[in-house]
Amino acid sequence: MALIRFDAFDPFRNLLSLQQELERFTRNPAFSLGPSGYGAYPPINVFEDQDGTVIVAELPGLDPGKIEIAGQGRTLTLRGERKREEGVNPSGYHRRERPFGEFSRSIQLSDDLDMSKATAKYESGVLMLKVPKAEAAKPRQITVNAG
Amino acid sequence: MPEQEIVTREKQQVQGTEATRPGRYYVPDVDICEYRDKLMLWADMPGVSEKSVEVILKDNTLTLTGTVSPAAYNNLSPVYTEYNVGNYFRQFALNEDIDESRIQARMRNGVLEVELPKSEQAKPRKIEVQTT
Repeated sequence: MALIRFDAFDPFRNLLSLQQELERFTRNPAFSLGPSGYGAYPPINVFEDQDGTVIVAELPGLDPGKIEIAGQGRTLTLRGERKREEGVNPSGYHRRERPFGEFSRSIQLSDDLDMSKATAKYESGVLMLKVPKAEAAKPRQITVNAG
Repeated sequence: MPEQEIVTREKQQVQGTEATRPGRYYVPDVDICEYRDKLMLWADMPGVSEKSVEVILKDNTLTLTGTVSPAAYNNLSPVYTEYNVGNYFRQFALNEDIDESRIQARMRNGVLEVELPKSEQAKPRKIEVQTT
């Protein structure tokens, strides 16, 4: 497993190497998400670390209390609605590019993860979901006894 | 019944001028709405905090820059990706006469909101039509 590691002294190089790593795994065909693939909203990036799987999605402008995340079996579902700011004057638009509406996306996770221990964090419009490996799936060190 | 479903659009990279620092810049999705006394602008910049966003109005050009931090990705290993991350950059030429001293900007959940009040002389005035 090649981890992204950063140089503490060069933040610009760090962003570039992150972009190159993300590019390398674009729609990686070796990884199956189940029924909802590329094109579904929100777009997601999937990572691994030593504890399990990390799913990241860009979801700007949501009320964190209204993001619904549900796990059932191996399926994880993200659901929510993005609402336009209140009091907008509909005849005054010069530009209207930002997407609004409802979304729902289900992702199939591998079965060695423990969905009941999943945690989610929403910060600056980015959702980061961590699903740890089940105890049984964690690597174990086996001590060799001298006989 | 879902009112409307969100459709995924691929993030667009900034074309044209290249930054001196290497790396991708993306164009944030923007809404601009005009009111009687102001313009309101909203820009989607997920991953940008209030500390790393810059709003500059100079010579009628409004420049928005948002910087993302790769720190959250430390020690992660990608297995499947659908989007890339990068800084945000966008410029607008403003036709309206804006009162620069009263511009306000807020950052909330990855959305930048800029309030651009029109200057006094730019506000519309209603002219009374008189009968003779």
